[in-house]
Amino acid sequence: MPNPYLELAKQLGVVVAIAVAVLLFMMVAVLYIILKLRWVIGRIQSRLGPNRTGPWGVAQTVADALKLFQKEDIIPCGADRWLFTIAPALVFIPAYLVYVVIPFGDGMTPQALNVGAIYISAISSVGLIGIVVAGWASNNKWSLLGAFRGASQLIAYEVPIILAVVAPVLVAGTLDLNKIVASQAGGFWHWNLFNFHSWPMLPVAFLILLIAGLAEINVTPFDIMEAESELVAGFNTEYSGMKFALFFLAEFAAGFTLAAIIVTLFFGGYQPPLHMLGAQVTGKLFGVIPWFTLISLGWFMFKCWVVVLGIMWIRSTLPRVRMDQLMNLSWKVLIPAGLANMLLTGAYVIFWMPK
Amino acid sequence: MRSTYFKDFVNSFVSIAKGLWVTVTHWSPARPSVTELYPDVMPELPENYRGMPTLPINPATGRSGCIGCGACVRMCPEHIITVEVDKTDPKDRKPAVFTIDISRCMWCGLCMEVCPTNCLKPGRDFELACYDRKSMVYGLDKLMAMGGELPVGPEANDTQESA
Repeated sequence: MPNPYLELAKQLGVVVAIAVAVLLFMMVAVLYIILKLRWVIGRIQSRLGPNRTGPWGVAQTVADALKLFQKEDIIPCGADRWLFTIAPALVFIPAYLVYVVIPFGDGMTPQALNVGAIYISAISSVGLIGIVVAGWASNNKWSLLGAFRGASQLIAYEVPIILAVVAPVLVAGTLDLNKIVASQAGGFWHWNLFNFHSWPMLPVAFLILLIAGLAEINVTPFDIMEAESELVAGFNTEYSGMKFALFFLAEFAAGFTLAAIIVTLFFGGYQPPLHMLGAQVTGKLFGVIPWFTLISLGWFMFKCWVVVLGIMWIRSTLPRVRMDQLMNLSWKVLIPAGLANMLLTGAYVIFWMPK
Repeated sequence: MRSTYFKDFVNSFVSIAKGLWVTVTHWSPARPSVTELYPDVMPELPENYRGMPTLPINPATGRSGCIGCGACVRMCPEHIITVEVDKTDPKDRKPAVFTIDISRCMWCGLCMEVCPTNCLKPGRDFELACYDRKSMVYGLDKLMAMGGELPVGPEANDTQESA
């Protein structure tokens, strides 16, 4: 009879290994995204971007992270020490937990849940609490204003995100992200975004998800909660050192999450655009990792890269919206459009969809 | 009043598309960056670059054309030019001492404007930093070395702007 404690330790070891692997992936992805963002925005503004640190400046974000490590960790007097310390973790942990259900590749989901779509919406809205706590605990009017703006913005944009996610979920008939991806197999014309021949309303859901998602991750057209020119840095004005680095990490991790959700729901996840571009070899690399997993991971990463580039493009183009414009866009445009889209898609699923 | 609700939809999509087109044209490799990699690549100075005042050497005489009249001394808004005239030969006035405290010069160019012999010319050197404030006071030798040689020819005296 096997030792139950040993079995438990083994299972715990697997969990910890997966958690560490996801964390490492997240760090590397964020480092790369920040670097790429600075290059892209530099090029769009006819500059070069970082090019002094290492060859072509590839070590720039590593250098910045090291610099943040060295910074003094200041807690302003008058701040609520406990809440001030907890807040970065409250923002960072949800951004990290979302990665658990993302299907990175064929059979490469850290923990597949049968309610993955709901899980993502639920967990990513928890980060809002951390932002409000950070603004409140800082004892600073800019922080507090930024936190209040963030609260109203994130609450307003949670709704259209869920309404947009409902449409592909209805069409696929499941909340499991792996099954949603599997339902889009067979070439790019089966992806939800280009699936005009069966149901042409899904691009509307895609647009709603893109716009509301941009607001959810606070990138420039909707970055009113840390608007540099109005509030000094919004809710993280008083933060320095590693606490600030955690906020920064969470923000860019959320950016990658948005790209991953968009790719999963609308761009076919890890499916190759044509069947022949998928894995043609069966067998395993080093006898451990199947080739089809690796190749599907590559397709997922490539699609995420393209979507992240698109987000950077939008981010470097549009000016910041006003608070009232932001609220109008959500409550008067996105939510009615999302409701109508959900109703129409539901009607399609009930009455016309081939069973 | 007719609502502009749906019209705003179309307008916003069109204007966002226009903005995205503008940025993507800047993004394309066909549009080079305007960044100057200064310490690695020296910038190309324009032909009429207006640098610090220098005293170029006239190759015909082997020295600058300064007659020590002191017009630049009187004109200088910062009072940083000193001139002492060498009066040994009354038919050949030349400066014995000519210093410019370049640390306080604001490169306004009034001394070059007022010079009756057009011997003060803008130099092309701009890396003037040094570790000692005293060595920012440039003497005659240094000013002549930085000025180089005057162009020779009939147009040599007309190089200053005629306006």
